[in-house]
Amino acid sequence: MAEATAPKPSSSVKLVLLGEAAVGKSSLVLRFVNNDFQENKEPTIGAAFLTQKCNLPTRTIKFEIWDTAGQERFASLAPMYYRNAQSALVVYDLTKPTSLIKAKHWVAELQRQASPGIVIALVGNKLDLTNETANSSNSLSDGGDGEAAEGEDADGDARRVSTAEAKSYAEEEGLLFFETSAKLGTNVTEVFTAIANAIPETSLKGTRGPGAAQANAGRTEDPSRVNLTGPRDNASKEGCAC
Amino acid sequence: MESLSDTPWDVVIEGTGLQQSLLALALSRSNKKVLHVDQNEYYGSSEAAFSLQDVDEWVEKVNTFDTKSFRNAAIWKSPTEAGKLGVSRAYTLTLSPQIIYTKSKLLSQLVSSKVYKQLEFQAVGNWWIYDVSSVAALKRLPNGREDIFEDASIDNRSKRSLMKFLKFVVEYQNHGEIWEAVAENSFPAFLTSHFKLPESLQTVLVALTLSLDSPDDTPVGYALPRIQRHLSSIGLFGPGFGAVLPKWGGGAEIAQVACRAGAVGGGVYVLGTGIKSSQTNGEKTEVVLSNSETIVTKHLAHDPDNQRKPDTKAVSKVVAIVSSPFSTLFKSSVEGSPLAAVSFIVFPLRPSASKARLIRSTLWHTQAKRANVRQVNEQSLVSLDLAFHDEALEEVETKWNAIVESADEQKPFMQFEERTGMTDEDDDNENGY
Repeated sequence: MAEATAPKPSSSVKLVLLGEAAVGKSSLVLRFVNNDFQENKEPTIGAAFLTQKCNLPTRTIKFEIWDTAGQERFASLAPMYYRNAQSALVVYDLTKPTSLIKAKHWVAELQRQASPGIVIALVGNKLDLTNETANSSNSLSDGGDGEAAEGEDADGDARRVSTAEAKSYAEEEGLLFFETSAKLGTNVTEVFTAIANAIPETSLKGTRGPGAAQANAGRTEDPSRVNLTGPRDNASKEGCAC
Repeated sequence: MESLSDTPWDVVIEGTGLQQSLLALALSRSNKKVLHVDQNEYYGSSEAAFSLQDVDEWVEKVNTFDTKSFRNAAIWKSPTEAGKLGVSRAYTLTLSPQIIYTKSKLLSQLVSSKVYKQLEFQAVGNWWIYDVSSVAALKRLPNGREDIFEDASIDNRSKRSLMKFLKFVVEYQNHGEIWEAVAENSFPAFLTSHFKLPESLQTVLVALTLSLDSPDDTPVGYALPRIQRHLSSIGLFGPGFGAVLPKWGGGAEIAQVACRAGAVGGGVYVLGTGIKSSQTNGEKTEVVLSNSETIVTKHLAHDPDNQRKPDTKAVSKVVAIVSSPFSTLFKSSVEGSPLAAVSFIVFPLRPSASKARLIRSTLWHTQAKRANVRQVNEQSLVSLDLAFHDEALEEVETKWNAIVESADEQKPFMQFEERTGMTDEDDDNENGY
């Protein structure tokens, strides 16, 4: 009973999506947020960011997911894109080796531009185009045993990046690693849950409470922050209205 | 990477300064195919903001190449203190610090375009004046009528004169008979002749105009709207302040957010690519990019920075990282006001010293860390105003209007619906106040 009336602490977490065009960044998010998939999705135009909650046993993480809106195509992402991001999803297409090279570039860019404590997940998407979907999703989530994926290039298998190669790179750089299918939903929730779990409690400053709403875009509570909308006298109470 | 020349563009926009970025955003949301390029590898053009490392590169660039907007850039690091500097990206040094008065249309357009949600604003707090009349000291400028009444240093007759002037200036448009004939004349002289204000108060009023010219060269017609703007902005967004500054780098931050929103609206962004040449044939303009790719567009909006002629007007600017937090300067003087992130200190010249230069410095609270880095540059007439001027927005709207010619595409300027997926019920609560 007490649990029902006292909600778990909830924090907003900014997550930036990176990766070459057409690797399935938006599709992964669409699967996570709406449990939906669109075949032949147009390049992203439209949503500045999406939000989705992730319920952990002791807390709720609300992901604020920033799509690149196509700005990654000519490497023209602005510093504001990385600012305050506590997590990043770097996506490559496991049927396209050049997309992993691009992913490595984005990891380097994150290490240069983003906050030092950022949690980065490397994700090989389009697992459905390989012929190992059913097994590998289990083996990966069971403990990341990617050996089964090695050396398979049978008929109909479009995989061109081996699990082992990407995994060892991820380990070197200290990244979380998953192979997913946004189309089938394989491992998608797992990626976000793993990121949510990996974010240190101490970096969660956006915890709800008085003042949290004012800081909704930034993580830190800033006594000099000015609110541009709405009546001023509500400013002090708004945290409780949620 | 796909080729840019495959697309027939409606508009090619050059430069990612604040105006160009807002134009790109407005056009991308008016169903125009927008290609937005910048020859620099960073956003913001001459309004860019840099980390310490970026500044080093920028200084070298300014001194190596002929940049139209800047010259004589230098960087100086204190040999004893520089070691105490934090990591490079802990600092954001802006080339063009500009406050935004709360009355400015820019703020309402950032709200109506929903762009404000990705920005944070901080308050501009106290204004100080270096007062040499008695003991050299910094004196806080009065922040409203109560302050003026309580100020023991102003005698009663002057207080009455000042009140009379303030009453006039808030509705000066209705009193054209008083000032229109002398609009081009010196503002201090006008204060003497029409309001009998003493020199000390003239200095204060000139300070509020943020004029970069000496007091005597500051015309009445320039000063009145600016003082009116100052006074009518105070208290609009909360007690004790009348202007704000976007956190993390001023106008550069708005430019970046506008560019991102422009990309969300379908605009294509390419940095590190300038425009080499262009040729218009009837309806079509052929543009050769610096990477030698040729593209075709209906409209081309050149970077205003590149259009400027060598101008007589230049301003020297210093950005300093200092070791003191200067907390006194930022202490709020009005109950309930947000902690100031910016303070103004005005070092006035005596109005009689007409040809000398007025020096003004802005302290950046967020940059008030240890050690010294100094960067000096002279800038030609680029965003020299220390306050954002709404004329810049009107220019953007005019350009937007010229390009969005067909009436059925005409929606109000910079008013956009919420994009799907941008909010959920929680955001409504958080943002809906």
